[in-house]
Amino acid sequence: MHRLLVLLAFIAASMVAGGALAQAADPPPRGLFLMTDYPSQTVRAGETATIRLKLNNSGLPPEPVALALSGVPQGWKVDLLGGGLPVASAMPGVNESVSLQLRVEVPKDAPAGSQKITLSAKGPIAQAPDLVMTLTVGSEAPAKLSLKSRLPSLRGTPRSSFEYTVTVGNDSGKDLTVALSAQGPANFQTTFSEGYGSNEISSIPIEAGQTKDIKVKVTPPRDVKAGDYPVLIRVASEGATAELRVTLQISGQGRLALGTKDGRLSGEAEVGKSSTYTLVVSNDGTAAIDEVEMSGTVPANWKVEFNPKTLASIAPNEKKDVQVVVTPGDKAIAGDYVASFRANGRGESASADFRITVTTSTLWGIAGIGIIAVALLVLLGAVARFGRR
Amino acid sequence: MPPSTTARRVAARREGSPFTGLGPVFMKEFSDHLSSARMMVLMLFVIAFGALPVGLSLQELRNVTESDPFLFLRIFTSAPQRVPFSFTASLTLVIPLLAIGLGFDSVNSEFNRRTLSRVLSQPIYRDALLLGKFLGGLATLTVALVALWLIVLGAGLLLLGIPPRGVEVARGLGFLVVAIAFGGVWLAIAMLFSVVFRSTATSALCALGVWLFFAILWPLVVPVLVLAVTPTNVAMGMGRLDETLAMIQMQSTLERFSPNTLFGEAVIGLLNPETRTLGPIIPSQMRGAIMGAPLPLDQSLLLIWPQVTGLIAAMIVVFAIAYVVFQREEVRA
Repeated sequence: MHRLLVLLAFIAASMVAGGALAQAADPPPRGLFLMTDYPSQTVRAGETATIRLKLNNSGLPPEPVALALSGVPQGWKVDLLGGGLPVASAMPGVNESVSLQLRVEVPKDAPAGSQKITLSAKGPIAQAPDLVMTLTVGSEAPAKLSLKSRLPSLRGTPRSSFEYTVTVGNDSGKDLTVALSAQGPANFQTTFSEGYGSNEISSIPIEAGQTKDIKVKVTPPRDVKAGDYPVLIRVASEGATAELRVTLQISGQGRLALGTKDGRLSGEAEVGKSSTYTLVVSNDGTAAIDEVEMSGTVPANWKVEFNPKTLASIAPNEKKDVQVVVTPGDKAIAGDYVASFRANGRGESASADFRITVTTSTLWGIAGIGIIAVALLVLLGAVARFGRR
Repeated sequence: MPPSTTARRVAARREGSPFTGLGPVFMKEFSDHLSSARMMVLMLFVIAFGALPVGLSLQELRNVTESDPFLFLRIFTSAPQRVPFSFTASLTLVIPLLAIGLGFDSVNSEFNRRTLSRVLSQPIYRDALLLGKFLGGLATLTVALVALWLIVLGAGLLLLGIPPRGVEVARGLGFLVVAIAFGGVWLAIAMLFSVVFRSTATSALCALGVWLFFAILWPLVVPVLVLAVTPTNVAMGMGRLDETLAMIQMQSTLERFSPNTLFGEAVIGLLNPETRTLGPIIPSQMRGAIMGAPLPLDQSLLLIWPQVTGLIAAMIVVFAIAYVVFQREEVRA
C-alpha cells in the first residue's frame, strides 16, 4: 500500500513537471547499497586510516541489515564503527542512508602491495551487493617545504632594522612543525616572529598544504661597513628543508663623537683670562661626515672660540683636534661651571659637557699682604717717632 | 724744628733695641695669665659656651646618613635644633669677652698698683712692656683657643668615629688662625682702653661698650644709615640693577667695619667650602654654575683673604694707636 502511494506520488510529480521530463526520468534503483567515496585507497604501514562508508536503502521497507567483513589480511585490525562505536548491523530508513566508518589499523610490518577487504550487508529480505575495497600499503610520501619572499632585498643604514616577510608552505600530505633558522655574517642578529605577532619564535606548526607568513628581522651590528650582506633563511622539518637567500644593502652612515685625548672633561680657567682645551672630534661611523661645525654653550658673559670653527670633512675612524678657548667673564665667581660643546655635521651631532673650575686672581692676596705690611710700617713709624728711652 | 729732625734726634737718643726686656715681660705676663683665677673663670666660660653647641650638633651629626665630604667641618658650623646657636656663632660672642677679660686692666692696673714706674726703672723700654703684655695676652688666648679646638676635634673623632680628611684639618687650622686674629683685635682694643683710662672699671666698661656696639647696635644701625642715603625708589627695590647692587655693596662695606662681621665672613668662607662669594650675586653670574660644588682650599682662602687681612691689619693699627698713646703718657704717679 505504502509502495503504491509512493509510486502514485512519483507519477503525479512527473505529470506536473511535464511530459518530456517524465519520459527521461527512469525509476530509481531499488534495493540496499553499500557505498564509499574512494573504494581504492592508500594506507601507510603502522598508521590507522579511517574510511567513510554509507549504507543506503533505496525504496525498501526498513529492516535490520547485518554487516560483515571478510578478507581482512593477517595482522590487520579492521573495525566497523557507527556513531563512534563498533557496530554489527544497521537499519536505514526508506530512501535514507546510515553513515559508517571503517577503521583500518595497518601493522607496522605490513608488506607493500594491495589488499582487498570485502564488506557485505545482508538483511532478512534484501541484500546489498558486496563492497570490495582495495587498500594499498604505500611507501610514505616525503615531507616537502617551500619558502618564498616577496621582497628579498632591502636597503638601509647600519642603524635601521631589516624586516623580511617570508611565506613558508607545507607541500606535503601531513602537518609539520617547521624549525626556523638563519645564517648571516658575524654579529648579525636574526629573529623570527609570526605574522603580526611580537613573540619571537623558533619553530612553527603548519598544517598539510597550508602556508604561513613569517617575519624575519635582521639587525646588523652598528659598526658594519657599507655593502651587501646575504642572509640565508632556512626552514627544516623531518628531513625536508627549504632555503631562501635575502640580501641587506647597507649604506654607510657617519657617527660623530666628541671627547678629549685623555678622556678628562674638566679644566681650570682664571677669571677674565682665556684658557685653551683640546677637544677631539672623531667619526666612529662608516661614512665620511662633511662640514662639521663646532659650537658651545657657556655661562653668561663668557666667551668661547673654536679653532678651527669648521672641519671640512672627517673620514670614518678619523680623529681631529679642535682647540677651544674659553674666557670666563670678568665678574665670574670662583667655583665650578658647566660648559657644553657641540659638533654638528650633516644630520649628525655629538656633545660633551665640560666642567670648568674658575679660579680668581691671586693679585688681591698680594694686595692684602701689602696692607698688613703698611700697618706694620705705621707701627714701626710710631716706634721710631715715639720710642722713648 | 721739622718733625723729621725730631724723629732722627729721638731715634738717635735711644740706646739699644726697643725689644730689650721683651722676653721677661712676655713670660711674666703669660704665666700670670695662665695661673690667674680670672683665666680659670674665662676658660670655664669659653668651654661651657663651646661645648654645648658642639655636643648637641655632634648628636645630630651622628644620625646623618647622607654622605658629606665635609662632615667634620659641620661640627663647627651646624646649628643644633634645640639650641639655635652654632659653635662658630658662640665663639663670635665669647672670643671678644675672653680677649677683653685678658686685656682691659693690663696697663692701668700696674699704674694703680704703682708698679709701672718700678718696672720701667728696670732696663725695659715702654715698647717692650706694651708689646710683651700684648703678646702675653695673645699667647694666652692662643692656648685657650687651641685647647678648645683640640677638644672639639677630639670629641668629633670619638663620637663620629671617622678621621677628618687633610683638607678639613687644613680648613680647621685656618679657622683657628682667623679666631686668634679676631681675639687679637679685641685684645688690642681692650689694651687701648687700659692705656687711655686710669680706672680699670672705666676701661672695662668702655671695652665692653665697644663690644656691645659692634655685636648688637652696629648691625641695626647700618641698614638705617644705608636707607638714609639711598633714593626711595632704590630702597623699595624699584631701582636699576647697578643702583641696587651699589646699595648692597655699601651696606656690606659698612658692616665690615665691625670685626665681628669680618670674623663671621671669614669663618663661613673657610668652614663652608660651598661658599662661592661673600657679596651679592646677580642671577646671570650663577647661570651654568654647578651648585653645591665645593671650592678648592686655595680659592676659599683667596675669597676670605680681605677679611683675614682686615682683622690682622686692624689688630696692628689698634695696637699702634695704643702704643702712641702709651708713649705720650705720664707714668709717674
